[in-house]
Amino acid sequence: MRRPTASSAWTNLHLEWPTPGGFPSRFATARTCLLFLLAAGASSPVAAQENELIPGVELGFIFEGVYVPPIAVKPLTVAGADVGLAREIEGIITRDLDYSDRFQVRDSLPPALGGEGVQYALWEQFGVDWVVTGTIETDGLGGGIAFSVELHDIVFGSLKAAATFPLPARDHPDFRLAVHSVSDALVGWVTGDRGVAATRMLFRMRAFGEENPNLTEIYVVDFDGENLRRLTWDRSTVTSPTWSPDGKRVAYSSFKADMPRIYELNLEDGQERLLVPEGHGQHDSPSYHPDGNSVAFTIVGPEPEGLFTYNIRDGCCLKYLGGGRFNDLQPNFSPDGEWLVFVSTRLRFSTPQVYLRPLAGGDDELLSPFRYGEGGFFTDPDWSPCGDRVAFAGGIGSRRQANRYHILVAKLEAGGNRLLQLTQEGNNEDPSWAPNCRHIVFTGERSYGKGVFIVDTVTGRTRVLVANVEAEDTDWSPWLAENGVVR
Amino acid sequence: MFNPRLVLAAFATVVLAAACRPEPPPPAAPEPTGPTAEEIEAQRIADSIENARRLEAEALAAAQRAEREMQQRAAAARATLGEMVYFDYDESTLTSETTRTLQAKLAVLRSCPSVRLRMEGHADERGTSEYNIALGSERAQSVSEFFTGFGLDDARFSTVSYGEERPVAQGSNEAAWARNRRVEFVITTGADDLGRCQS
Repeated sequence: MRRPTASSAWTNLHLEWPTPGGFPSRFATARTCLLFLLAAGASSPVAAQENELIPGVELGFIFEGVYVPPIAVKPLTVAGADVGLAREIEGIITRDLDYSDRFQVRDSLPPALGGEGVQYALWEQFGVDWVVTGTIETDGLGGGIAFSVELHDIVFGSLKAAATFPLPARDHPDFRLAVHSVSDALVGWVTGDRGVAATRMLFRMRAFGEENPNLTEIYVVDFDGENLRRLTWDRSTVTSPTWSPDGKRVAYSSFKADMPRIYELNLEDGQERLLVPEGHGQHDSPSYHPDGNSVAFTIVGPEPEGLFTYNIRDGCCLKYLGGGRFNDLQPNFSPDGEWLVFVSTRLRFSTPQVYLRPLAGGDDELLSPFRYGEGGFFTDPDWSPCGDRVAFAGGIGSRRQANRYHILVAKLEAGGNRLLQLTQEGNNEDPSWAPNCRHIVFTGERSYGKGVFIVDTVTGRTRVLVANVEAEDTDWSPWLAENGVVR
Repeated sequence: MFNPRLVLAAFATVVLAAACRPEPPPPAAPEPTGPTAEEIEAQRIADSIENARRLEAEALAAAQRAEREMQQRAAAARATLGEMVYFDYDESTLTSETTRTLQAKLAVLRSCPSVRLRMEGHADERGTSEYNIALGSERAQSVSEFFTGFGLDDARFSTVSYGEERPVAQGSNEAAWARNRRVEFVITTGADDLGRCQS
């Protein structure tokens, strides 16, 4: 077991998360100060606007009282490489470790800790459980970088793990993604679960610099909020972007032709294709089957409308999954491909609810907390890559109560699903799971503005991914790199 | 003092005297003083040109008048067809006011069978974008069903929903929302025939 420290007894972690600033959090007074610092920081929940709880739903996070060990990254050793490169890599990794929500990252290291080697006794006095060291080499690698990393277990006084990762040159477009994948390996060495820094998020928003305020385009951003880029130039309304299972393609719906259709952008060659060339009406909300061979999507318009699938490998076989007069919307596959989660207005048009459908046949199952007479408005379902949870957004009350949605997580359990509410303030929509089945990206509105946020379902810690944008329809990618190698 | 017999005799004398006078020689043919034949012909041509011009101008004026009337009819038909209809909150059913507006469109559409319409459904910002796409589609479908319910060919109507994506009024208040809960009408075919439509 890990040595308990004074700061280990967090019971309500989403309120008492220590800052990454290396404050002596073992002192209770300092901890109180931290709460105020948190309230002022952009990367944490700011003073609640109006807390609210949906009836029949538990407030809380999936686990509580987990121990969060302190970690430090020692300045990297440079062999034939420039110091600026070392500082950049250190910076990326340190922030990734913080954003993993698995560690208290300690910086402002005392000079005594900066010498040769790792003096376990000194580090133990400094109060960390883990220390990362590393060496960067660039000689004779044709512009590439060899990055050797060691993880030291200070509690047991031993080297826990070490490896050398190849990185592309600093000016290569994959450089940062490759460094993120080293952070993910470090998280895996400590916790057994790989980090998710080598990922990106899609969303749509009003395009920068476009005159028409009503048009939205697809954007992509790295896990740490860097490298925000525009992907589509349709000068139209482009919606519901989603990653292909291999992370190399993006599907979305665009109004650029007369009727909205689903297109696929190949990120490797930049080529776009009409993904579903058949079918009437307007096409929306694509979701790839986990095998990548088909998509589920919605047709809205003249009947038949509702859920459809299309074989994108062979370009054939439009299949109607039924819908009828009510609207079935926003399908999303389970990770085994045997279920869909979707939204339907079948109970009453004004109160959409979230349902599960077994694709092999059988009855649909209501997942959202519908209460007769209250209705509620539940939407944007996303199935966890681990299969055991579904995130969605919604609130009790009607659509009339605009902009008051929260992120909910349903734990799928035999004999009754358990519902947890992850957010309590502002407006929260469009949740999408990270590949670690732990973090969720969503679009939100707070007293300080709108943006894209990431919440850790374990601790409840929330940070801003992209600030001051009116974003919608987020989607978290699969892992895009592993052990320094970009897919 | 007045003797009628005397007067009659005097009159007879005068008449007889006149009758006995020798016949005077016929007067010489008068020298021609009016226009020459060439001038008359030129005048005739000029008159006919002027007449033709006048007729032409009258015809042109009539045509222009007719064209203006066509244009006015077309503009009126376009205005009637283009008038937006509005919906209650979260509803796709037609209000009585909407029905009146659609009745006027119906008359134009009946008199102009070549005209085809696209109904574009919209919603206010409340609710999710996907839900509002569905809601806007329901609204456009309601309008389409109104026309086809009165016997118009459903091939003349297409629908698309923009949901909450294209508001005409900005702002998060009832005034803006009410203006955004609408169906817009776009003439996709037959716009050139509108002058021959009843408006």
